[in-house]
Amino acid sequence: MIAVVAIVIVVAVVLTWWYYLSPAGRVDAFAKIKRFTIYGLLSGGVYALLALGFTLIYGVADVVNMAHGALYMLGAYMFYAFSWKYFQLDPLPAVILAVILVAFIGMITYRLFIHPVIEDIVAVMVVTLGAALIFQQLVILNFTGSNIPIVLLTGSEDILGVSVTYQQILAFVVSLSLIAILWLFIRKSKIGGAMRAVAQDREAAMLMGINTERLYMLTMAISALFAALAGILIASYTVANPRMWTSPLAMSFAIVILGGLGSIKGSLIGAFIIGYAEKFVTIWTGMSYLEGAASLAVMVLILLLRPAGLFGKRLEVER
Amino acid sequence: MVLSYFRRTYSIFTSKVLDVPPRLLVLLFFLLFMFFPLTRPGADLLGKLTQYSILAIFAASWDFLIGRSGQLSLGHALFFGVGAYTSGALCYHFGLPLWATIPMGVLLCILVAFLVGFPCLRVKGPYLALVTLAFPIILLTVFLGLPAKYFGGENGITGLPVFFPIEFFTERGFGWKEAIYQQTLAQYYLMFLLLFISSYILYRIAYSKTGIVLVSILDDEVASKASGINTTKYKLMAFAISGLFGGLAGCLYAHWIGVAGLSTLMLTQSFVPIIITFLGGIGTIYGPIAAAYILMFLGEFVLPDAVEGLAGLMTNIGLVSLGHNLKSNITSWTGSATSPGLIFMIVIIILIIKWPTGIARSVVDKLEDLSEERELEERGKRIWKREKKKKSPS
Repeated sequence: MIAVVAIVIVVAVVLTWWYYLSPAGRVDAFAKIKRFTIYGLLSGGVYALLALGFTLIYGVADVVNMAHGALYMLGAYMFYAFSWKYFQLDPLPAVILAVILVAFIGMITYRLFIHPVIEDIVAVMVVTLGAALIFQQLVILNFTGSNIPIVLLTGSEDILGVSVTYQQILAFVVSLSLIAILWLFIRKSKIGGAMRAVAQDREAAMLMGINTERLYMLTMAISALFAALAGILIASYTVANPRMWTSPLAMSFAIVILGGLGSIKGSLIGAFIIGYAEKFVTIWTGMSYLEGAASLAVMVLILLLRPAGLFGKRLEVER
Repeated sequence: MVLSYFRRTYSIFTSKVLDVPPRLLVLLFFLLFMFFPLTRPGADLLGKLTQYSILAIFAASWDFLIGRSGQLSLGHALFFGVGAYTSGALCYHFGLPLWATIPMGVLLCILVAFLVGFPCLRVKGPYLALVTLAFPIILLTVFLGLPAKYFGGENGITGLPVFFPIEFFTERGFGWKEAIYQQTLAQYYLMFLLLFISSYILYRIAYSKTGIVLVSILDDEVASKASGINTTKYKLMAFAISGLFGGLAGCLYAHWIGVAGLSTLMLTQSFVPIIITFLGGIGTIYGPIAAAYILMFLGEFVLPDAVEGLAGLMTNIGLVSLGHNLKSNITSWTGSATSPGLIFMIVIIILIIKWPTGIARSVVDKLEDLSEERELEERGKRIWKREKKKKSPS
């Protein structure tokens, strides 16, 4: 109901705005709308990849993993290590090796930091935030704190008159196909079924003979894998440095909360909402530093309307 | 026979001598801090103690919010930053004196607490934590983006008046070096007294009727609502009280270092009270205060010395370059509560995993377990843990 009203209001505002524009203004506005549509779509697809791992580990294990951003950063740095600094591999094997390595790091993080305190959600947050700072320090020690280049593809293409780099297209395609694979994995495979069972009721799943510990480790590995891949793909058209993990962390919070914690469909839609909100601010106000603030403001607004996000589980009696 | 005498003596000793009432501990703590400067410690140490007194107020305010009303705020730097920036901007733009701007900063923080707390009441648990995390980040980007003439941009508002300006002492005939020491000493006493007063107020509120009502909301919100408690009012009140003391800490900090900078709003600043409170024990007001000083000694003195020893060892066994690296970057290796480094974070994580209830609370619990008479007192301290167990009975 609220969604329908909101869409009607937005359409009405856009149509009135369009009606009062001058012809030259209309040409300019049309170019802006094209850029808005395409860039929003591209960034939304990559943000979905970033947020999926976060929502997956919360949905299955009730872990709010503050080290998610750090795993994203580690992905970019491991790729740099394999493809440039230590081994000079081709991009594809380097990506595969880096992603697998970060998945292992994710499992170790779970075992060392999260497992001892998993009962206490606050302690989990504090400990994983500590783990993120540890990763940051380790990366600074090993690779120094300056920006590093990450190169996957070069060149660009015009789509509907909007210049898009191949790296952005690659990121979009890879992230959408991976999301589809994850969806199939969770829906069809036996392990995916076990994940859904644990997410619904941990005790009952244990009684059915599911090894929850091993499942949590596996979920953490998948989550870290997605984070690392998102790190490589996003860093390929922005920059990578050891402190780059805070803004994607805030971003994945915004996305995941927007869609409802633990809901995969929700985080997919939330990612596109956030992607479009960011591009709206950058394209129409020209102040790119407001990007992060805009996405967080959208998150706060939506939470005020729906306290459990768009697709989150309904909370208990409130107010 | 002899052994039984020993046992009896030991039990009398533990129940009568080690049976230190908390009030006596507080008195000892107070006396220690009042008379500690008589040993004439270095200005460096006094400065660190002052800084951590301010952080202890901040941590205690966070502890009140989570330990009493159960609302987890990951963005407590909002109050710290708003306090610092309000007081700083008033001083900078209108030239008002300290004693006028600090109350205004605190009042604005209460207002902000209401503004933020009211929408936040709709959300709960991890949602609340992540929503509160958003506010300081939004404010940070706004301050960074606004022209520098309003809030100083990247550098923050610099050149603020500090407590007890140095002229105050030079006019009274102190030499330059002595005046600096006297200034540090005066600031130390001021911050310590403010810490004592604020923690006393927080403690009294926490253990008053209001505090009990708040704990009942933490325990079971539906049941306390059914008993006729206006939970919205009480939760908002907890937010406002926490915002008051968080803002006070922010104002004090800005006027202690003389700068209201962006670092007061950063994620690490929100992280400071969380580490401190976790080490001290959630739900006690004394826990974070004790843990703040423990962390100070750990981060500023113990760990650097330990790392220096380690560096010497490394050099001796042949790992010369590693030892040299360690020795030349001791601060970036260890860090402190305000800028956590690698070794500091590892130590903190080990402490949290080993003592999930907190150091200060473990010590006090042990003291209380020694005497059976006061066993039933202050049972409320375990409430936070109990709620966690109730959620997942495995």
